[in-house]
Amino acid sequence: MLLQINDITAGYGESNVLHKINIQVDKGEIVSLIGSNGVGKTTTLRCIMGIIRPKTGSIIFDGKNVNKFSSHKIASAGISYSPEGRELFGNLSVYENLRIGGYLIQNYKDMKNRLEWVYELFPKLYERKNQIASSLSGGEQQMLAIARAIMPSPKLILLDEPSLGLAPIIVDHIFEKILEINQSGTPILLVEQNSDLALEVSKHSYIMEKGQIRLEGDSKELLKNDYIKNTYLGVA
Amino acid sequence: MGLYLLQQIVNSLIYGSVIGFLAIGYTMIYGILGLINFAHGEIFMIGAFTCYILVTFYQFPFFAGVMGAVLASVVTGLLLYYLVYRPCIRNKAPIVAVFIASFGASLGLRYLFMMIFGDQGRAFPAPAYLRGMHMVGQIVFSKRDLVMFVVTIVVMLIITYLIKYTKVGMAMRAVSYNIKIAEVMGVNTNRIIVTTFIIGSALAGVSAIQYGLNFGIVQPSMGFTPGLEGFIGAVIGGIGNVPGAMIGGFIVGIGEILFVAFLPSHLSALRPIFVWGLLFLILFLKPTGLFRPNVKYEGTWGE
Repeated sequence: MLLQINDITAGYGESNVLHKINIQVDKGEIVSLIGSNGVGKTTTLRCIMGIIRPKTGSIIFDGKNVNKFSSHKIASAGISYSPEGRELFGNLSVYENLRIGGYLIQNYKDMKNRLEWVYELFPKLYERKNQIASSLSGGEQQMLAIARAIMPSPKLILLDEPSLGLAPIIVDHIFEKILEINQSGTPILLVEQNSDLALEVSKHSYIMEKGQIRLEGDSKELLKNDYIKNTYLGVA
Repeated sequence: MGLYLLQQIVNSLIYGSVIGFLAIGYTMIYGILGLINFAHGEIFMIGAFTCYILVTFYQFPFFAGVMGAVLASVVTGLLLYYLVYRPCIRNKAPIVAVFIASFGASLGLRYLFMMIFGDQGRAFPAPAYLRGMHMVGQIVFSKRDLVMFVVTIVVMLIITYLIKYTKVGMAMRAVSYNIKIAEVMGVNTNRIIVTTFIIGSALAGVSAIQYGLNFGIVQPSMGFTPGLEGFIGAVIGGIGNVPGAMIGGFIVGIGEILFVAFLPSHLSALRPIFVWGLLFLILFLKPTGLFRPNVKYEGTWGE
């Protein structure tokens, strides 16, 4: 098992957002975490990245307990993160954003190779490599956020709401790229409100409600589940 | 009149550079930590004093004094970070507390030096090879100013290269824009903060030498006015924007000297009006500064 989240409880200040969450991600697969606004999906990712600390439970990544790691140590353990709302370095150019994404690559040549691959995947970013990030369109910004996350050749990518605020046609394009990245061998933990899409691309899914995992299972099976059909599908 | 103006500009260039280098320190530290390092003026003062002590008391060669000044400024900056700012950040102190701590550090250092040395001005040592004048047409250039101007250009080029093209420089700008996300990308943000303090403080040391050579004196309260003016230069240049801070510093430093130069001599005490007027105008017309700030403005401060 690549990532194992065991019984974590976490929150901000006194109040808890997550209550004993268990999530597992295996090598090679896309796992989606689905739920409506405010149920704790982003908080889960923040816990994994060490931005907030779980109060109980453990997070095991690649055989290591990363609970107490600082964020940059977690990044160097091999988890990369494309945060909600993209959070690009708005004043840095596209190229510089990618360089920071690949900050952990020690060797200049490796960085060059990786950059080439990323530009091949997202030709739009190559066209705009010297433009500052805040001048990009929403779709391009999302591409850059994903591109920045894949720069260090991570062992696992956390994607937070890549479809947020984008036109359907651009969402489709971005999900094609996400699948392409996964097919190149990188597992992804995908957080989405767009449940149709998330269930379609992922192998395994977790449905989150009020800070707890309500349901989990094979995505194909969940697509047929009545409760899911009535509550989540066709509304997004 | 034209000649007079030209001569005044030549005379004010070094003061512009003094303020510019201080402004860079403010802007870098504010950009990264979101705090105003009020003790930056004292980092500057300690640099100047170190050179004075080494050269005047211990007869070190001037160049060794310069190196000592830069080193002392860097050590002071790092001590301030580790003893004052880092504990504040660690304990999630509210911004007001950090503000007061910063002010306290500034006053503490200044009065410590006053206790030891008294606040009368002391002659800053200038080596013989920096004395003398050159005439170009009818404009007088002192040898000292020429050398310092070359130093300014070289240091500026190094800093620009560092910030713009190196990996550390990129990381510094990224941390300045969004420290949390930079950390998540694998940037060791504490190391970047320390690097920033080192560079900012070293520049204050260079600035202190220029100040000493330009005015010929050192005294414990010498950091106060240039410190404030450096801060204003940083605001004018757009917080977090390093070239902007240098330009902002030049605007303040040169503008101030020209302002006084064209005022009747009995009104020269009005000198601070220029600086504060400039700050007022900038905050009134374009509060983010003349150039693009390199910080992300969010609803809350210091979160």
